[in-house]
Amino acid sequence: MPVTIKSREEILAYLRQILGELFELKPEQIVPEANLYTDLDIDSIDAVDLILKLKELTGRKIQPQTFKNVRTVGDVIDAVEALLANPA
Amino acid sequence: MSTTRKLNHVWRVFATGLVFALFGLGALFISLTVFPVMRLVSWNRDTARRRIQRGMQVTMWLFMETMRVLGILTYRVEGLERLRVPGKLVVANHPTLIDVVMLVSLMPAVDCIVKRGLWRNPFLRWPVSWAGYLPNSEGEELIDACASTLRQGHSLLVFPEGTRTVPGQPLRMQRGAAHIALAADAELLPVTITCEPPTLFKGNPWWRVPSRRFHLQVNVGLPVPAASFRREGEAASRAARRLTEWMLVHFDAGRLAAPVEPRMTESAHAGRPELMDSGTPLRG
Repeated sequence: MPVTIKSREEILAYLRQILGELFELKPEQIVPEANLYTDLDIDSIDAVDLILKLKELTGRKIQPQTFKNVRTVGDVIDAVEALLANPA
Repeated sequence: MSTTRKLNHVWRVFATGLVFALFGLGALFISLTVFPVMRLVSWNRDTARRRIQRGMQVTMWLFMETMRVLGILTYRVEGLERLRVPGKLVVANHPTLIDVVMLVSLMPAVDCIVKRGLWRNPFLRWPVSWAGYLPNSEGEELIDACASTLRQGHSLLVFPEGTRTVPGQPLRMQRGAAHIALAADAELLPVTITCEPPTLFKGNPWWRVPSRRFHLQVNVGLPVPAASFRREGEAASRAARRLTEWMLVHFDAGRLAAPVEPRMTESAHAGRPELMDSGTPLRG
């Protein structure tokens, strides 16, 4: 497969960076178990900004339903991993 | 409790129930008569919208005055003239059920966000759409609709808490109002409402009236441009957080400041006539 699959650790590091830039969250808050809405106080408008950033990372169009069931940072990592593994 | 106070209490329970019934029936009646006529005699949508928003103001003012005359409440407004300047995002804290009645009664033209379920109500869907009110759709869609009406120069009323304040708990705010202000690059007009003694708050039924006639104090703050919360080269989501934080601090300070209220002594509880004048008269 020509696409270099980024490791989960790399995806997490990237999430720490963009969540810090966008929402002033501290790196130690960004753990796989953290719930985006209740623990990190991300609202639906923030989620739109986050999805835009993830588009840049993956270079893929992201369908809204991909993120419909995303609740935690771990879910985001899963979704990004899946997107990177399946070239459109 | 003295007999006079007991009688006054019974009277206020009765009067409050009466006003609530009147409000429901009155709103339905006006929606079926006055507003359709206003729409019919208006040349275009904009004229109809202006007239119906003015009609909403007069209706709400009648309700406020009914409650005042019946001895349910008194109210006072500071900085009323600032509410009359169009194109502002009016943000208010939300202590009581009648905050929206109070604020709409003070503004000849203002857009409101109302339950989208009303658009399925055969009677009320028409007046709310003629008035140009916005259905509370989800996230981005609602932000865009709100920003668009502000850019057209209309004022918009938003309660950033999204629901009534829970008494005794710290204020909590959603960031929707901040997102709207930043998207439209609008000026915020913060309005602090205090209700003393507290009543009609979240979880308190209407018939549990306070120990005495309550006083609503409305303090209209100075306009603040949303742009002043932006910083160069920074994500808008951060400005929205900063703006929301600012509102929390502003409303908390306003809430806790001693309300400007006519001093009510024990003898005034039964409603002396001189206290009847404490409502701010409305002159268009």
